[in-house]
Amino acid sequence: MNERTVLTLDALGKSYGAIRALDALSFSVNSDEIVALLGPNGAGKTTALEIVLGLRDADSGSVRLFGSSPREVRIRRRVGATPQQSAFPDMLSVDEIARFVAAHYPRPAPIATTLEEFGLAALSKRRAGTLSGGETRRLALALAFIGDPELVVLDEPTTGLDVESRRRLWSVVRARGNGRSILFTTHYLEEAQELATRIIVIEHGRVLFDGVPRELRERVGGRRVTYVGRDGPVAVTTLDADQYVRTMVSSGVDFQNLEIVHPSLEEAFLSLTGGAK
Amino acid sequence: MKALALVRAHAQIGFLDLIRYPGYVVPTVVFPAMFFALFDLPFARRAPELADATTLAFVVFAIVGVTLYQFGVGIAQERGRPWERYLRTLPAPAWARFAARIVSAVLFGILAALVVAIVARAFTPVDFTVTQWLTVFVYALAGGVPFVLIGISIGYWTSSRAAVPIATAANLLLAYAGGLWMPPDDLPRFVQSISPYLPTRQFADLLWSVHGDANALRALAGLGIYTVIFAAIAAIGYRRDERTRYA
Repeated sequence: MNERTVLTLDALGKSYGAIRALDALSFSVNSDEIVALLGPNGAGKTTALEIVLGLRDADSGSVRLFGSSPREVRIRRRVGATPQQSAFPDMLSVDEIARFVAAHYPRPAPIATTLEEFGLAALSKRRAGTLSGGETRRLALALAFIGDPELVVLDEPTTGLDVESRRRLWSVVRARGNGRSILFTTHYLEEAQELATRIIVIEHGRVLFDGVPRELRERVGGRRVTYVGRDGPVAVTTLDADQYVRTMVSSGVDFQNLEIVHPSLEEAFLSLTGGAK
Repeated sequence: MKALALVRAHAQIGFLDLIRYPGYVVPTVVFPAMFFALFDLPFARRAPELADATTLAFVVFAIVGVTLYQFGVGIAQERGRPWERYLRTLPAPAWARFAARIVSAVLFGILAALVVAIVARAFTPVDFTVTQWLTVFVYALAGGVPFVLIGISIGYWTSSRAAVPIATAANLLLAYAGGLWMPPDDLPRFVQSISPYLPTRQFADLLWSVHGDANALRALAGLGIYTVIFAAIAAIGYRRDERTRYA
């Protein structure tokens, strides 16, 4: 692998008044990586992205994007990003917005193909104000890729979408991820596991975990098996729920209301912070 | 070359976004001509010289209204929107976005001025050659620039609520004291003494120079000074907004 560092955050600190959003946040993104920035609301994900995109300056530490400051226009030509939800001027068509964004890049991707991949081909003449929430989301994502940039930054790409559309978008993003780096934020553990080649968990503006999805799964990804047994409710956390249930059934244990659930992100954090102590 | 293409893309998107709101376009473009028809038409019909002077004054009024008022207020409302935030993440320098705004504002102003010219042609003995009309509109393009910058300055230095009354007051006071509604010689003596230093008066002088009634170079120099001053105020306002919004 010919790995190259695309983005480096070194001990970034950022406070809003008394609130400490980033606390010596450090991580890097290499070429061809899909990195998930996973954390609950208020963990500092958006602040980190805003600094990466040159919207904000950090109070301390440094950020290097392709070896330079993200404030430089020349550097931002190598980056594509999503606008926040429902950000589009109502009266502009999908096609006009796509062309406008593409005009900023030296070698943009073909517009028609990009719109088609994101399921927007039939909507290209539609005004942004008439798009549904899901369609707006798809347009936002398509814009991040339309300049064919080396780094794509997605802020909560699938928030507010149903499971079906989320999965469809993941496959498009995965296909588009070829030959470039993607950095995205999410508060869905599942999204990070499915899409990323590397996961960085942040909380209170600090890195809690930085590794491959398998590693995270082993640390926090167990399933919780709950049932009501002879002596009352039972809750067990196991890495292999299938095997656990198989053993349970074959041993003839009496159980009712069997449930297997993914641990929530909050529970995952508890086990991560617990593990650090 | 690349930078010019960016300015064009931004101007185009800004213009398209506005032109598709008939509720915005019609009053904006028609209002100055309506004002002209209501208040100055009887006066302008009396003699060709009066028709020429008032028509040009209302060309100025049309452009100032659109550029200073509409676009000033527009900035104050738009600067907090997510779309503006997204534009800042795109690889375009801030000056290119400013330049695009100037271009689309001036083009809108020219539309409003064209309606004034059409009304004047139809109902007054206004008497310009084709070359003179062309000169008027070329001057009008240049003269609009400082007023967009005044509008942008108001937009960045006031809240979205305060922008409307402040821009209204600025627009009307500058129009009155600049001699756009009545011949400068008929203004009260005190106003007459400051009038030549106002950008509206200089803009009007620039257009009146087509007839040889004023010195074009002097007017251009004055407008140039206003352009530099308000470009600086707008730029500082933009930075200040950036600091408070994205600190």
